[in-house]
Amino acid sequence: MYYYLYDSCLNQKKYNNLLAKVETRLTDLGINGKINYLSFLKNIEQILQEEIKRGVKTVVVVGNDRTFGQTLGTLAGLGVTIGLIPIDKSSQIAKFLGLPDGERACDTISSRIIKKIDLGQINNCYFFTSLEAYGPRLAIEFDNNYLINLENKKSLVKICNLGCDRETKSLPDDGQFDVFIKDVKQKFWGKKEISFSRLTAKMLRLTSPQPLPIFLIDEKKIIKTPATVNICPSKIKLIVGKNRIF
Amino acid sequence: MFKDNQPTNETETIIGPSVRVEGDFITEGNIVVQGAVCGTIKTARDLKVGPKSKIFANINAENATVAGEVQGNIKVNGRLELTSTAKIFGDIRAETLILAAGSMLNGRCQMGNQKDRSSKPDFSKQSRLELQPTSNQESGSDSATRDALGKKIKK
Repeated sequence: MYYYLYDSCLNQKKYNNLLAKVETRLTDLGINGKINYLSFLKNIEQILQEEIKRGVKTVVVVGNDRTFGQTLGTLAGLGVTIGLIPIDKSSQIAKFLGLPDGERACDTISSRIIKKIDLGQINNCYFFTSLEAYGPRLAIEFDNNYLINLENKKSLVKICNLGCDRETKSLPDDGQFDVFIKDVKQKFWGKKEISFSRLTAKMLRLTSPQPLPIFLIDEKKIIKTPATVNICPSKIKLIVGKNRIF
Repeated sequence: MFKDNQPTNETETIIGPSVRVEGDFITEGNIVVQGAVCGTIKTARDLKVGPKSKIFANINAENATVAGEVQGNIKVNGRLELTSTAKIFGDIRAETLILAAGSMLNGRCQMGNQKDRSSKPDFSKQSRLELQPTSNQESGSDSATRDALGKKIKK
């Protein structure tokens, strides 16, 4: 039984044509189901919990990364399969999962390649892709074994469960985080010296003398230090495409 | 070698030049250290220590290449290579050791396996040889050999 969760932005007229195509394709493939439009007045957690009680086995998010991130956090550990139909090409998660945008994603949902994937957890809040924190005076404890103190003001810490760009690649089924630390030092004549560190961990503790913001990239949310970050292995089942990065 | 900061599939952990690690650094993969480490380094695979790095730790690795300063004992199961910029203040234990000209080693060095050591032969059962015979015996034996040689020549 499929359940489709539409993003609140899809109420805009410009998406009418896209939604019509998506719904037609879903009907053609025989995987159409109940549709619910999100809005500011609706609580996503409440809606999903009610639908799971009614026996929904597959939830497909039609929308952007933020809505997908919120859905993952709610459905983590409940044994529900989650899919994504991205509405435009800006979705980073769709790129990582190898999902095409628009109506072509319906074929990927139909093919049902399901992978069990790890989720990150920061202070009881789940995240799928990554976290970012900036120094200075940020201390990171890795697996209760060793400690790194960042003293440079321009230090960037990226804790990745899933990610792939020019500098970083992190796989979501390896049962650990990849931690990237990027330091930029200003030299004479405006020259910048960039150094790069890469570490792995299953549990991290971020502390600082004063509360520092930690950005959740999926949900565009901020959590402040001190924070404990844990990996939850094989926490969710996702429908992925053939062109996924892992 | 150490200028390449980009992570590859082979390199799993990189400690950059601006990073200081305190504690027990234990991993299963390859490690590249360019910064400072204080505590313990333990890996089941290879370790590379960059020229500007400073390590105040005991090291345990499969193979290691050291170009920086290490204050602590190094135990390597395979090959240990000290480049010309390496400074070691501690004991070394390795199967194979490569020391470049200019490298500094202050400590004890143990190479190979204890099993390779050959056993000491038992000299107690061997009969003592008389290497310096007496003058009378020497003259008698000499005359006998001369006679025998003379007969052979005549024949």
